[in-house]
Amino acid sequence: MTHSVPNAGPVSSGQESSVQESLQKDSLVKTPVVVCRGVKRIYQQDSVPVHALRGVDLEIQEGEFVSLAGPSGSGKSTLLNSIGGLDGFDAGTVTVGGTDLGALNSAELAELRLHKIGFVFQAYNLIPVLSAQENVEFILQLQGVPSQQRRERATEALASLGLGDLAHRRPGELSGGQQQRVAIARAIVTKPVLLLADEPTANLDSKTTSELLEVLQQLNQQQGMTIVTATHDPIVMGFTSRQVAMLDGEIHQDTGSTG
Amino acid sequence: MSTLVLLFNLSLRNILRYRRRNFFLFAAIAVAVGGTTLSNSLIRGWQVSMLETAVSGLTGHIKLQAPGFADDPSLQRAFSSDTQISLSQQIPVAGVTQRINLPAVISSERETRGVALVGVVPTQEDISLYRDLEIEGEGLTGANDGRLLIGKALAQTLQTRVGRRVVIIVQGADGKSRERGYRVAGVFDAPMRWPEKVLVFTGLDALQGTLAGDGLRDPITEISVVLSNEGDRAAAAAELAAAHPSLVVQDWRQMQPQIAEIVDMVEGVMVIWFFLIMSGLTFGLVNTLIASVMQRTQELGMLRALGMNKRLLLVQVVLECVGIMIVGVVAGLALGIVMVLALGDGIDLSAFSESVEAIGISTLLRPVLTVEDLLLFGGLSVLVGFFASYFPARRALKISPLMAMNR
Repeated sequence: MTHSVPNAGPVSSGQESSVQESLQKDSLVKTPVVVCRGVKRIYQQDSVPVHALRGVDLEIQEGEFVSLAGPSGSGKSTLLNSIGGLDGFDAGTVTVGGTDLGALNSAELAELRLHKIGFVFQAYNLIPVLSAQENVEFILQLQGVPSQQRRERATEALASLGLGDLAHRRPGELSGGQQQRVAIARAIVTKPVLLLADEPTANLDSKTTSELLEVLQQLNQQQGMTIVTATHDPIVMGFTSRQVAMLDGEIHQDTGSTG
Repeated sequence: MSTLVLLFNLSLRNILRYRRRNFFLFAAIAVAVGGTTLSNSLIRGWQVSMLETAVSGLTGHIKLQAPGFADDPSLQRAFSSDTQISLSQQIPVAGVTQRINLPAVISSERETRGVALVGVVPTQEDISLYRDLEIEGEGLTGANDGRLLIGKALAQTLQTRVGRRVVIIVQGADGKSRERGYRVAGVFDAPMRWPEKVLVFTGLDALQGTLAGDGLRDPITEISVVLSNEGDRAAAAAELAAAHPSLVVQDWRQMQPQIAEIVDMVEGVMVIWFFLIMSGLTFGLVNTLIASVMQRTQELGMLRALGMNKRLLLVQVVLECVGIMIVGVVAGLALGIVMVLALGDGIDLSAFSESVEAIGISTLLRPVLTVEDLLLFGGLSVLVGFFASYFPARRALKISPLMAMNR
C-alpha cells in the first residue's frame, strides 16, 4: 500500500519527523482488502434471468473474519466467487488487494488467485495422488518457489496446523477434518492477502467443526489473516468477528459494515 | 523446468491412479501398435521379396543389351563377351554375369513348348535365382557343359526326366534355325513357378558353340549387374551408360515398371494401413481420455481455482495422454518385435503359389523389420497421441474454476 502526502514539497528535518508520524498513524488505519461496489450478477436459467446479486456494496478491512450467511439462493456463494475471481459479474466493481478484478482477463485472474487469494473448499479439493506435504507444496511450485524453500514452508504450514506427523499421507488416508486442515495449510502457505472459505465445515461433525474454526480464528487473530467464509452454519457465524447476512442477492444485515 | 517436473510427476501419478482403465488402454494401444508392426513387417517383407524377385530373376539391378534386343530378341542383336564392366569404387558390385538368353522351342517325344534358352556361366550365377534352384540329378558343371537344366513344371509338361533327351530349336546368328538334341542333366525346383515353366539353362560356351556362325565370336545377349546396394542403382546405370554408349543400359525398374510401381506403392500402403488402424484406436483413445477429464471436472476446476493457468492445465492433460501413448507404443513395439521374431522363418504361401507369383513374390514370405520403420511408426504413434490429446485438452480448458465449488 502506498501513501501520498498532499502538497508535501521539499521536506525539512523538522517536518520529516511529523511526516513519519503521520505515515505511522496511517499504517495503523486498516485498509480495505475487498471493496465491492454495486455488484450485480444475473444468471440465465432456462431463459429466465435470475438476479443472484442485486447491486451489492461491501468493504472488508484487513484482518477481518467475515461470514457471508444466508439461505440457499441468497447470493452468498455468488458473492464469494466474484470476490475470489472465480466467476464474473455483470455490473459494479470488485477490488481485491487494490486490484480491480473487472479489468483482468482469465489469465490475470488466475495469477491473482495464485498469489493473493487462498481458497478452502467445502469438498476439501486436495489432489488425491499427492501427499499432504506435496499438496501444500504444489501451489508454491506453481508460484515458482525454489525447492528447499518450498519444503520448509510447507512443513511449517502443516506443523502449525498440527499435521506434522501426517505430512506424507495421501488425502485418502486422512479424516475429513485432517483433509480440511491440509486444505487450510495449502491456502495459507502462500501468505495470501485474503482467505476465502466456502462452507468449510459443511462436511464435518460438530467437534471437528469447532476445532477447524478455532484454527481459522487463530489465523485471523494471531496472524491478522483476512478471512471471508460463506456459510449457513450458526456455529461458524459465532466464530467470526463480522456477520454479513444476505437475502435475495442483497445484503440484508451487516454487523460491522463500514461501507 | 520445475513446473514441468511437477506436471510430469502429477501426470504420471494420474496415469497410475486409474490402473484398471489405463491397463486396458495400454493393452489396446499395444495390440494396435504390435499388430501394425507385424503387418508392416510383412508388407515390408513383401516389398523386399518383390525387389529380390525382380533383381534375381535374371534381370539384376542393371542389364546391358544390344539396341533393339528387347523388341526382337535374336542372336543377330548380340554383342561381344569381351565387353568389360567396371564401376567406380564408391559403387560396390555384388556380381556380374554374361548370358545368352534367347527364345527357343523345346520338344520331347510327347510335347513341345516355347521356352527361354539361357546360356550361363554357372560360377557367375550366384547373383541370380540360379543359386536357389534345388536340382534333382546334376547341375551344370561349367560354361562348357552342353547338357540342359529344365524346370520341374516343364519336365512334367514334356513328360521327360533326368537323363532323357530333348530337342531344342533356336535361331542362330545367321538367322537360320539350329536344331539340336540335348540330354537333361537335372530338373530344378525354383522358389517360384514361372522359372520352372519357362527357363532352360545350359552352359554359355557350349551354347555359343552351337549357335556360332560367320558373325560375332563368342556372342552374348546380355550382361547382368547386381549391386551391393539398391541405392546405387541410378548412379551405376549412369556410369555404365556412359562407358558403353553402343549398348542399351536399363535398370530393373525400367524393365519391370509394374513391379517398380508396386514396390513404390508399398510405402504408401504401409502408411495408409498404419493410419487406418491408428484412427480406429484414436477414437477409442479420445473417448477414454475425454471420459477421464470429465471424471475429474472438479479436480481440474480446483487447479484452475488455485491459480493454475490454462497453458499449464493443457500441458498436464497432454502429458497424461502422451504418457499413456508412449507406454502403450513401447509395449506395442516390443510385442511387434516378438511376433516378428516368432515368424522369423517366414510364412509358407506355397499353397497359394499361383496367386503369390501374380503379385511378384516368392512362396515364402518373411517379415522384414527395419529400425527406420520402428522409429517412424513409433514416432507417428506418439504423434497420434498428441493429436488424440487435443480433444480432452480442449475439454479441460473449458472447465471453469467454479467447478471447484461443486459440493
